[in-house]
Amino acid sequence: MTIATPVSAAAAAPAPAEAVRVDWLFLAAPVLATALLAALVLLDGQPRSAGLILAGFGLGIAFLKAEFSFTASWRRFLVRGEAGGLLAALLLIGVAAVVIVPVAALGRGFGGAIAPLGPSLVVGAFVFGIGMQLANGCGSGTLYTVGGGSGRMLIALAFFIAGSVIGSLHLPAFLALGGIDPILAADYLGPWGGLLATLASLALAAGVIAAIARRRGATVAPRRPLVVGAVAIGVLAIAAFLAGGHPWSVTFGLTVWGGKVAALTGFDLSGAEFWQWPGPKRALAESILTDTSSLTDFGMIFGAMAAAAASRPFARASWPPLPSLAAAAVGGLLMGWGARLGFGCNIGAFVGGVASGSLHGWVWFLAALAGCAIGIRLRPLFGLSRE
Amino acid sequence: MRIVYAVVFVVGLAAILADHLTSPSNGRAVSPEDFVGACAPCGAPCPSVKK
Repeated sequence: MTIATPVSAAAAAPAPAEAVRVDWLFLAAPVLATALLAALVLLDGQPRSAGLILAGFGLGIAFLKAEFSFTASWRRFLVRGEAGGLLAALLLIGVAAVVIVPVAALGRGFGGAIAPLGPSLVVGAFVFGIGMQLANGCGSGTLYTVGGGSGRMLIALAFFIAGSVIGSLHLPAFLALGGIDPILAADYLGPWGGLLATLASLALAAGVIAAIARRRGATVAPRRPLVVGAVAIGVLAIAAFLAGGHPWSVTFGLTVWGGKVAALTGFDLSGAEFWQWPGPKRALAESILTDTSSLTDFGMIFGAMAAAAASRPFARASWPPLPSLAAAAVGGLLMGWGARLGFGCNIGAFVGGVASGSLHGWVWFLAALAGCAIGIRLRPLFGLSRE
Repeated sequence: MRIVYAVVFVVGLAAILADHLTSPSNGRAVSPEDFVGACAPCGAPCPSVKK
């Protein structure tokens, strides 16, 4: 019995005869595109923006090479009790938290990832969890597998973008259901006490997860590549935080891309409450290269593409069966909608939230994990393995 | 799939460049969280201050 290989792994695994072949066209294209975007923001006098693009590029490489998959890790834990992937994710968050919690509290121009606690967060995260199991990738997973050459995830990305725009129209109504303001550990315990509380919460979660794995007779320790990947991604998340002033996020950029496409094709978003809030309104009106989330998203896709093309012929696989593409579409749509209501994905809400010492990160995790359990049960409807 | 990727790459990059060259820019990249009253990464307001 084996766990279904993540899309990234399937896309990245070279056949023996292709092991050392470099696809120069698809290696040069993303490298040049990254250099072009970096040059454009540097022309505007924005070295931090260039830093965000390069951090994203590094993240794309790290995710692809480590085959770091939140989706597969959560599925392995729920189906078989294996804890390695989840523990690696907690390690990643711990690495990032060491810098993010104190700097967000003490540094001028820096802030953590916060979000209100309420029905919107819980419903959004739960739906996101269903979607990530159907799509076989979360927000970051979608980006790096798209970059890695998975045509299936191109479909997921397109529907993710559409879903997030729909979610942006529904978010104000869900917020009106009520909720409480963000709860940030550093606000109550100070920067260092907040950091200790954050690390303690991670240790407690790791202990519970490891105990469940042991009780189910499953493996506990993460594989070495996952540990190396977690540390590398954690360090790059810190770089993105220092360059952007806030923890790395993925999904707001996708919403802005969708909003711009919608506006271009005649949809009037000016009356929508979400798009009247200062942040989204500005992002819709101004250059896409002034949105921090978009900068790292572009870099991540290009980095993964370059890493994939450096090791094998790029995007040579055939298209998967129609039911699998349908799962990608439905999953992408649910993820986009859920990410908007739930204030982000595994990166913006879970990693960013917990690494900021914000309680909403843990609430998001538990709700999304419950959604994953449902999503796993739905996978066979689309011809996908429950494992 | 390779051709689809090539098309998506070219169209996507062209769209980024066109958007950048035709949109106003105040320079520094920002997140919605940078704006006063933002309570989430998307810029949503806090429940306590919402009307």
